Amino acid sequence: MTRTIIGFVLVGLALLALAFMPTQLGAYGVGLLLGMTGYVTLASAWALFSGPTRYISLATVAFFGIGAYTVAVLSEAMPYPLVLVTAGLIGLGVALVVGLATLRLAGVYFVIFSFGLAELVRQLVTWYEVNVTGTLGRYIFLPISATEIYWQLLGLAAITLLIGWWISRSRIGLALKVIGDDETVAAHTGIDISRVKLALFAISATIITLVGAIQAPRWTYIEPAIVFNPTVSFLTVIMALLGGANRLWGPMLGAIPLFLLFEWLSANFPNHYSIILGLMFIAIVFIVPRGVVALAEDLFKRARRKEAAQ
Amino acid sequence: MTQLLEITGLKKQFGGLTAVNDVSFSVGEGEIAALLGPNGSGKTTVLNMISGALSPTAGTIALAGERISHLAPHRIAHKGVSRTFQLVKILPSLTVAENVVAALAFRRDPLWGSRATERAHELLAEVGLAGRGGEHADDLTYIDQKRMELARALAAEPRLLLLDEWLSGLNPTELRVGIDLIVSLRDRGMTILLVEHIMEAVRALCSRAVVMNVGNKIAEGPTAEVLADPVVISAYLGEGHA
Ligand SMILES: Nc1ncnc2c1ncn2[C@@H]1O[C@H](COP(=O)(O)OP(=O)(O)OP(=O)(O)O)[C@@H](O)[C@H]1O
Ligand SMILES: [Mg+2]
Repeated sequence: MTRTIIGFVLVGLALLALAFMPTQLGAYGVGLLLGMTGYVTLASAWALFSGPTRYISLATVAFFGIGAYTVAVLSEAMPYPLVLVTAGLIGLGVALVVGLATLRLAGVYFVIFSFGLAELVRQLVTWYEVNVTGTLGRYIFLPISATEIYWQLLGLAAITLLIGWWISRSRIGLALKVIGDDETVAAHTGIDISRVKLALFAISATIITLVGAIQAPRWTYIEPAIVFNPTVSFLTVIMALLGGANRLWGPMLGAIPLFLLFEWLSANFPNHYSIILGLMFIAIVFIVPRGVVALAEDLFKRARRKEAAQ
Repeated sequence: MTQLLEITGLKKQFGGLTAVNDVSFSVGEGEIAALLGPNGSGKTTVLNMISGALSPTAGTIALAGERISHLAPHRIAHKGVSRTFQLVKILPSLTVAENVVAALAFRRDPLWGSRATERAHELLAEVGLAGRGGEHADDLTYIDQKRMELARALAAEPRLLLLDEWLSGLNPTELRVGIDLIVSLRDRGMTILLVEHIMEAVRALCSRAVVMNVGNKIAEGPTAEVLADPVVISAYLGEGHA
């Protein structure tokens, strides 16, 4: 109990310090911080669903893009907070429909489907914009500064981690472990597997949609190719897997170094970027399949055992 | 005696193979019944259809007069059916106590928190695993894993308990304890349908037996009579011995 309280106090202090960071940084620094916080949130939200269920979702950018487009379409029509709520609800609605239709698919089919979904949404939006609206891109003029976007993302990141913490201690968290161990046993102990998966998918997708919505004003001009860029999905997966999708802090610990690395790579090797991304993906899956956090825990345990044996 | 489980015209096909063919029988409330038959005769497949692990190709299963066939397994569990598996199924990433807590947390009237932990330890003590709750399920011996699996099945306080060769692999002393445990469950009012190859246990426990052979029911009745039936003996020993 006291450990939990100390943990919360420490996290609270860290958040406070992070919230003050923009005052110490220039525009470039704030931009970096904003992008990094966005990916920490994406990776953590992705892991809420994909960590315990082991479904690798490549639909991240579908929801991210839906969030961004909702803001682009509605930002003139309603007050900003309401736009965010609407975006979240649209993301939730799409997630429930998609989840009901696909969560029965076996692993590899789900990966392909989720990738297809992102492409499908992108093509639909493109078709609509070209044929109905008559223009491809949209402008977003919202008086929201980079620092304000960063604060919102920081808040969302904190909420995401809080949800992850709460889940791990709740009945739904136990249900997820049981499902991960053996679905037959899970069903026979009374767990409604599809409902648990659907709930997780919906929570995760809603947060991802909100990340897209919150980040949208940053672009000023958006078009499908920008906000539905599949690289976002791949980056999210790699970050979460590197850190460890089954640990609360894992995705964050993967997202921070990889975000900085990819910023540097895209600035210095723009032409080889996708190849490097692909190679890293393979390397992570083969070398640290459960993530560095789990690996560190294993090493730590082994060291302790050795000590105990001596 | 009122019937708790009623199976009518049950059939299961796997592609071209008919694993269970037009099987009907019922189990009375508070009774221990045996489902017997040589290897591959379709016993486990029948249990799988009762618990919802497989859905029947045809036929119906009713629990206390209510049709449960074609319900999802978690719904059937909530109606009061629990089981153990022929190849023991543990939750390897959890502790022994957590394996049982999982079943307590998702039963019809869920237990959670310290009450669930307490109840899990009681159940473990009942199956002979007192004080072992903190161990990893993975580290248990095969027999202890079977005990844990029974505690998990009992956690739901089932009306109908399905045991698939739960006694096999026990040594004579353990078998005695196992038989006494099953009797004590029946004395508490639980209805039990068990699949078993150990005839000594079947004779000691079961008032009635149903015998299957290559998917068909070939005999049903009081255990002693059924086991003396020439049709049953020849099914077990092969043709030519009858
Ligand atoms: N999921 C499945 N898919 C295909 N065939 C199956 C499946 N399950 C069982 N069978 C087949 O159905 C038949 C009956 O199998 P079942 O496991 O019910 O027999 P059993 O009576 O439990 O045998 P044992 O005493 O060896 O456990 C066998 O021929 C088996 O190979
Ligand atoms: Mg069997």
